[in-house]
Amino acid sequence: MLAVEVKNIKKTFKTKKDTVEAVKDVSFSVEKGEIFGLLGPNGAGKSTTILMLTTLLRITDGEAKILGSDVATEDKSVREKIGVALQDTGIDNILTGRELFFSTARLWGYSVKDSETRTNELLELVGLTEAADRRVKTYSGGMKRRLDLGLSLVNSPEILFLDEPTTGLDPGSRRVLWDEIKRLRDRGVTVILTTQYLEEADELADRIAIIDEGLVVAEGTSDQLKASIGGDVITFSFSNNSDLENAKKLLTDYKQEGNDLRITVQNGASKIPSFVNKLTENNIEIDAVSASKPTLDDVFLKVTGYRLEGSETSTKSEQPIKES
Amino acid sequence: MITKPSFFIQLGILTKRLILRVLRRPLAELPNIFISAFFLFVYDGALGGVFGGTASGTPFDFANGNFVNFILPVSIVSASLSGAASGIYLVEDIESGVFKRYQSMPISRWAIILAPMIVGAIRVLLQASLIMLIGKIIGADPAVGTVGFLIVLSLAFIWGMGFAGYSVAAGVKSGSSQGAQAATFLFFPAIFLAPTFVPREALKGWLETAAAYNPTTYVIESMRSVMVEGWVIDVLFRGYLAAGIFAAVTLFFAVVSARKATEKA
Ligand SMILES: Nc1ncnc2c1ncn2[C@@H]1O[C@H](COP(=O)(O)OP(=O)(O)OP(=O)(O)O)[C@@H](O)[C@H]1O
Ligand SMILES: [Mg+2]
Repeated sequence: MLAVEVKNIKKTFKTKKDTVEAVKDVSFSVEKGEIFGLLGPNGAGKSTTILMLTTLLRITDGEAKILGSDVATEDKSVREKIGVALQDTGIDNILTGRELFFSTARLWGYSVKDSETRTNELLELVGLTEAADRRVKTYSGGMKRRLDLGLSLVNSPEILFLDEPTTGLDPGSRRVLWDEIKRLRDRGVTVILTTQYLEEADELADRIAIIDEGLVVAEGTSDQLKASIGGDVITFSFSNNSDLENAKKLLTDYKQEGNDLRITVQNGASKIPSFVNKLTENNIEIDAVSASKPTLDDVFLKVTGYRLEGSETSTKSEQPIKES
Repeated sequence: MITKPSFFIQLGILTKRLILRVLRRPLAELPNIFISAFFLFVYDGALGGVFGGTASGTPFDFANGNFVNFILPVSIVSASLSGAASGIYLVEDIESGVFKRYQSMPISRWAIILAPMIVGAIRVLLQASLIMLIGKIIGADPAVGTVGFLIVLSLAFIWGMGFAGYSVAAGVKSGSSQGAQAATFLFFPAIFLAPTFVPREALKGWLETAAAYNPTTYVIESMRSVMVEGWVIDVLFRGYLAAGIFAAVTLFFAVVSARKATEKA
């Protein structure tokens, strides 16, 4: 049985003024025990997808199953199997970490004694034992994220949904959370997480679906996605526009990004000299040239036509460029 | 190890959590207590002279000589305004995302909605007790004896729950604290389109009609009957019925609104 099976789900929001197709057509399946990453920019429909799968939003069209239970018709049994940490952390600031764990455990049906045990276990697991008796108001952003993750684990869920678990965290805290999530996976928990960080998807997810404007535009392991680029990426940088324009006439199958042109070829490094010769013969001045293995960023550019803004790996372009 | 908790355990946990929150912000409670007590003093001071002991033997003597008995229920019903703050608890939970977390768990929606209503009713109960204490000090003396105080309190509890439910429903429906706050305006027609200061027989025209449809009327009359007249079972019963129906209707309405709440939030 698949952990998660999503078939052509769709979500349309109707407001007084207009209709928003937040999710147009999303399908994917997740095997038990893997970390599945939904990668996409702001507004791609990641949260909407998570909310539908966690029974918090009605699915407009299509079908989704969690461990064989239909999300729309068997919402109660779905809720019993899942743990959820949404993008906006659901935390009551005026209570302490311990109180939150305890009351959540009681709500899940643990006895008073078991709730105390579970509270201590989870406080330890997410590294909040020392801050346990402080009001959550005084926690840092990273601590709140960890608390939120902990709260989603109270019922020892088989399937865990995490919506942008590391957004807003510094690199150190992010890594702590990644390790946490990997440990959970190693203990058999299936994790579905969303992210807008390429690096996070690359590092953490066993399989990735790239989602853009409500559609899944690519799916596979990080390596499969990179291989789909079909070779290495050579990047030429030009310092003036006429060189750039002239180069565009000589090169074929390039992608432009600011003052850079990128082409994809097999064995990129060995092909550089011949390209450089061809350009210099035509009096084109090259500012810099490099060859690299394709990154998820390149995959993203290929399937969406623009770069994922705000990711650490995209440094050059300020503006996402849309091919029309 | 996990056994699905019963509805009442869920309700208990959710209620306890809210009470903890109220206790950690005690200052927020003061204004309402003050307002209700203020009403009692002002009504008694301003109107007691007209309708009180000196009116004995005149047509204005509808308080049987003890105006505090007559006006106390009004102060108690005014205290139900504090129940109207309950919507805020839920709105805070919606804004903080706690509401969504609860909805993603197998928790009864009725429990999620009923918990803030109960907390609202408890607040009303505490305030009503305080007012009653003040009332007793300045001369309230129920016609049915001390048990009259308990009857008035139990009515206040149910009525407070109804007001709380109304505010919770408004909060859930609007999803904003303004929405929940705005709902407290219901307080004015509830209090003033009712036999608040004079018995219903003294109301005329449209006011009489409005009062007949206002559940507050029956609650005040019911409280008043035990304070001023003695055991008038049908009047007493109508008070419980009106308060109970009001609470049931607002609870139902709030739960229905909650079903759609996450679609909007
Ligand atoms: N309740 C709603 N009513 C109307 N439109 C909505 C609603 N919720 C989301 N949308 C719209 O649906 C689209 C997808 O939103 P969603 O929150 O799923 O994106 P996201 O991928 O999670 O983005 P982010 O990275 O910013 O969290 C957006 O255009 C958003 O404005
Ligand atoms: Mg989102």
